[in-house]
Amino acid sequence: MDIQIPEIGKSFARPDAAAKVTGAEKYAVDYYGDHLLWAGVRRAEVAHGRIRNLDTSAAARLPGVMAVLTGRDVPGANRQGIVHKDQPVLATDKVRYSGDAVALVLAENRETLKQAIDLIEVDIETLPGVFTVDEALKPDAPVLHEEHPGGNVLLKAEIKAGKGESALKDCHILIEETFDVPMQAHAFLETENGIAWQEADGRVVLIASTQAPFRDKWEISHALGLGMDRMRVISPYLGGAFGGKDGATVQCFLVLAALHAGGRPVKMWWNREENFAAGYKRHAAHMRYRLGANSDGTLQALHCRLYYNTGAYAHLGGEVMALGMEHAGGPYRIPHTLIEGWCVYTNNPIAGAMRGFGVAQVSFAIEQMMDLLAAKLNINPLALRKKNALRRGDQNTSGVTMTQSTGIGDCLAALAENPLWLKRNDWKQAAGPFKKRGVGVSAVFNAMGYGRGLPDSAIAKIELTEGGRIRVYNGVTDMGQGNATAFVQIAGQILCQENTRIELVQPDTDRTLPSGSSSAGRTTYTYGNALIKASESLRRKIIGRAALMLLADTLDHLELLPGRVRDLQSGREIPLEMIGSMMAAEDRICISQFLMPVVRDKLDTGKGFIIGFPHLIFSYAAHLACIEVDELTGAVEVKNYAAATEAGRVLNPQTFTQQVQGAIAQGIGYALYEEIKMEQGRLLTPDFTTYHIPGAMDVPEISSQIVETWEPSGPYGMKGVGEVGSNGPLPAIANALADACGIRLTCSPLKQERVLEALSQSRREGGS
Amino acid sequence: MRQVRLPQTLADLWSLLNKDPTALIFSGGTDLFVKMRADKVAASTMIGLERLAALRDIREDNGDIRIGACATHENILRHPLIAAHLPVLVQALRTLGSPPIRTMGTIGGNICTASPAGDTLPPLYVLRAEVEIASSKGSRSVPIPDFIAGPGQIRLAAGEIVTGVRVKKPAEFNLHHFEKVGQRKSMSCAVAGMAALLRVTPSGAIEACRLAWGSVGPTVMTDAGIENFLTGKILSPDTLSAAARQVTRMVMPIDDVRATADYRRTVSGNLLLRLSGMENPTIELKRQSPSEGM
Ligand SMILES: Cc1cc2nc3c(=O)[nH]c(=O)nc-3n(C[C@H](O)[C@H](O)[C@H](O)COP(=O)(O)OP(=O)(O)OC[C@H]3O[C@@H](n4cnc5c(N)ncnc54)[C@H](O)[C@@H]3O)c2cc1C
Repeated sequence: MDIQIPEIGKSFARPDAAAKVTGAEKYAVDYYGDHLLWAGVRRAEVAHGRIRNLDTSAAARLPGVMAVLTGRDVPGANRQGIVHKDQPVLATDKVRYSGDAVALVLAENRETLKQAIDLIEVDIETLPGVFTVDEALKPDAPVLHEEHPGGNVLLKAEIKAGKGESALKDCHILIEETFDVPMQAHAFLETENGIAWQEADGRVVLIASTQAPFRDKWEISHALGLGMDRMRVISPYLGGAFGGKDGATVQCFLVLAALHAGGRPVKMWWNREENFAAGYKRHAAHMRYRLGANSDGTLQALHCRLYYNTGAYAHLGGEVMALGMEHAGGPYRIPHTLIEGWCVYTNNPIAGAMRGFGVAQVSFAIEQMMDLLAAKLNINPLALRKKNALRRGDQNTSGVTMTQSTGIGDCLAALAENPLWLKRNDWKQAAGPFKKRGVGVSAVFNAMGYGRGLPDSAIAKIELTEGGRIRVYNGVTDMGQGNATAFVQIAGQILCQENTRIELVQPDTDRTLPSGSSSAGRTTYTYGNALIKASESLRRKIIGRAALMLLADTLDHLELLPGRVRDLQSGREIPLEMIGSMMAAEDRICISQFLMPVVRDKLDTGKGFIIGFPHLIFSYAAHLACIEVDELTGAVEVKNYAAATEAGRVLNPQTFTQQVQGAIAQGIGYALYEEIKMEQGRLLTPDFTTYHIPGAMDVPEISSQIVETWEPSGPYGMKGVGEVGSNGPLPAIANALADACGIRLTCSPLKQERVLEALSQSRREGGS
Repeated sequence: MRQVRLPQTLADLWSLLNKDPTALIFSGGTDLFVKMRADKVAASTMIGLERLAALRDIREDNGDIRIGACATHENILRHPLIAAHLPVLVQALRTLGSPPIRTMGTIGGNICTASPAGDTLPPLYVLRAEVEIASSKGSRSVPIPDFIAGPGQIRLAAGEIVTGVRVKKPAEFNLHHFEKVGQRKSMSCAVAGMAALLRVTPSGAIEACRLAWGSVGPTVMTDAGIENFLTGKILSPDTLSAAARQVTRMVMPIDDVRATADYRRTVSGNLLLRLSGMENPTIELKRQSPSEGM
């Protein structure tokens, strides 16, 4: 590792890079233990039904089986859920999707576990199911949650600004279109897993691949009736998550199992098929849009009806839809809006958080609406976006005043000067035989933080160790995005210490402090803000304690330097090792909390949202895709891609660019290939053989341009950049497709078969 | 406990096979291990062929080219003999799986898996490959269409293995072409694929042609009628379109999660049109992969 004093604004290698590439870093999945037991669940395999009988006796008799547990063995509420507690740990009466767990088995090894799971006999009376939003909303539709007052509607909400939809009738131009996007899988490398054991004093320790160790504790405690002081949750670096580990996966199963394992460690590790069958997904959505504008292209009014298919349980469905609704009008000034949303239960796998949380869906719709409008007005699509782009001081489509950094205009301006844009006509002309080329753009944004109603807080803790090292107690999971790297940079910058002197502790509910989930583009922003305050306190403290040893009667001349404090006047120095060994343990620690600011506008809308509306701070991006369409196969190839991204100031250009590129690669998958296909709640794409994510050859060089603004509330002026890039590729590619061959697909993904069909249809209709 | 045996000589192999005729044979394991993980096959003994040098050989033999069953895709791809004489096979191999799969997977495994989507199969059909088979009792060889009986079905008796494939150098053809339509550019099972060998005169007349389609029927599809129709005609979009219409009637695709039968049918015909972009066959011969020129 290069020895350096980390600095804000400079690329800085991840402190975990060497350990990860050599395989030394331990992910949750790398933990085993002596006398290990394996846990697994029997799943319903029926999309909707009533459990008539559950016979676990044969499984329990199998040699090597330690325990078989059912819902009756769950000591607490047997309900999980972040906002709505509607999901059983182990179903007792009803099953609502094929992945519902009905029994938990502990066995000596994986072979026995598998046999035992197969031996469990579950007799389920099949009930008619609802799989699409339309089916679920029929008046006589079978109901998933009888006790839920809204029937199959988990949440109905609306956002209204100005005169609402009534303003549409005064618009010179009206564009109407309907859009559909499918479920997407997170496809992280490290599938859901963890290990748990009970200590001699009865406390349970859980090491899990989780984005929210502190919230897990509350959820486990509620579901299993176990005091929060009776458990410890540890979250090492994650092998990917993208939202899919924000909530209960293995946690409750493992803690329950540990309570029946006599102190032995229990491991649960979903294989890929189980990840597909029971893991969370991005919501499928159906979106009806009406957009009105003046004849000069000034946006006037928007009416949307958004239907999010949330699957069998609430999880974060309502919150995902809320964010989608908040972004439904794009990063534009539209004075009059009515955005209606229905989040609907169906007997499908559970939809929940995924990078671009609800926003990736609506971006497909609004950004194609913008191109439809541009085409109708014969205006250049970039210019139309620029004309309507939000500026600081404007009201957004929820009526929230943009008081913070608002850089979408700068992103669009940067794209307008990109050679890929300037030379697009020449490039398009050069297409070979049977190829059509097109260039499309999109303007996207993504809110940061939890939004109003849920404190977005982090508590940083930093220590000067007894040995004179700096230890940062990170309370918010690093799932690969690199927030932990930023924390080393912040501590190094403020304390002027070399990277080799700085240590990181990853989230551990016994050692680090509650700092919220790793989500919502908030990790570096919220924890970073807290860490700045804690690091500054520690700096003052170290200098203050050094004064005692340097016999300095004022702190004015003392400076904290790498490994030492120096009296600049006398030239005397004292090493950190001595200061650390002199200080008492409680004195060597500084703790500080930060709370993200919230919107101050008094809004008379969005009352349906329980939490998470509205948001104050957004990151922005303008994307450009150059694609080539094969007229013989319909295949779309992304040849070039450019993104101009604004997320305040950049702490680390390397990790920033990695976030942009990773999001675009994932977004290309969402645009071209990825689609969870189902038939009556049964997966037709249960694995990576049938569910395709892009490979290295499908992702072009990505030119990522950083557009800096200053976010006054951010640590060193930064905002979160993890999500915004996910929202751009699908609409940019869809717009490029229309540009290439005059076909507009309103149903994603833009897979070759759909494209070929649309091409031949447009030919039949006498198109190109 | 499962036993894995890795014989060093053919004699050892025959004795192992005689002892346990139910043993499962594997080469690279890239098909077999996937099936084992899904509990589709099981056996107490497995016999790996990777140590049998005689089966890995790629060489000229009496003017023919012989590829050992255990030659990996990567070895075949890189072999000068193959590059010089069998560009159609090279083009297909470049689309097969990914570098790790090509490094482990073998041509013998691809043939014996007999998937309708096996990427080496359309080239081997147009090359009129002969499959070499041996057992402790002797050896025989059969044309590949007679060896592959249906999806996943091969005509191999108990105790027999495939030792290699043999093809005549296709000297009479100056245009080699393979194209696969997958759902992405690598690690993708073919939705449709076509191999073509043509002899085209400088003025564009087709003097000879052989065509084969993968993934659009129970086994690789060929049709002498279509080949005859094209022979003697000019390689033009009109000719190819007329032939493409016949192709869409000839193929027998199915609907599955990857694509509909309709799409496969249309694309099978369309793939033929690609040839019309290839007026200068000598250049095509040098070209290594259809994607490189893009
Ligand atoms: C991720 C992935 C991607 C893939 N992509 C492609 C692709 O794009 N295109 C494609 O065509 N295939 C693909 N495959 C399938 C596979 O890699 C190929 O079919 C490969 O050629 C199989 O060779 P192998 O040596 O690994 O076969 P093995 O798995 O070793 O064997 C396959 C079968 O053949 C039998 N067998 C093997 N050798 C002999 C022999 N000499 N004599 C008799 N029987 C024998 C075995 O008993 C077994 O039934 C892919 C596989 C994976 C896992």
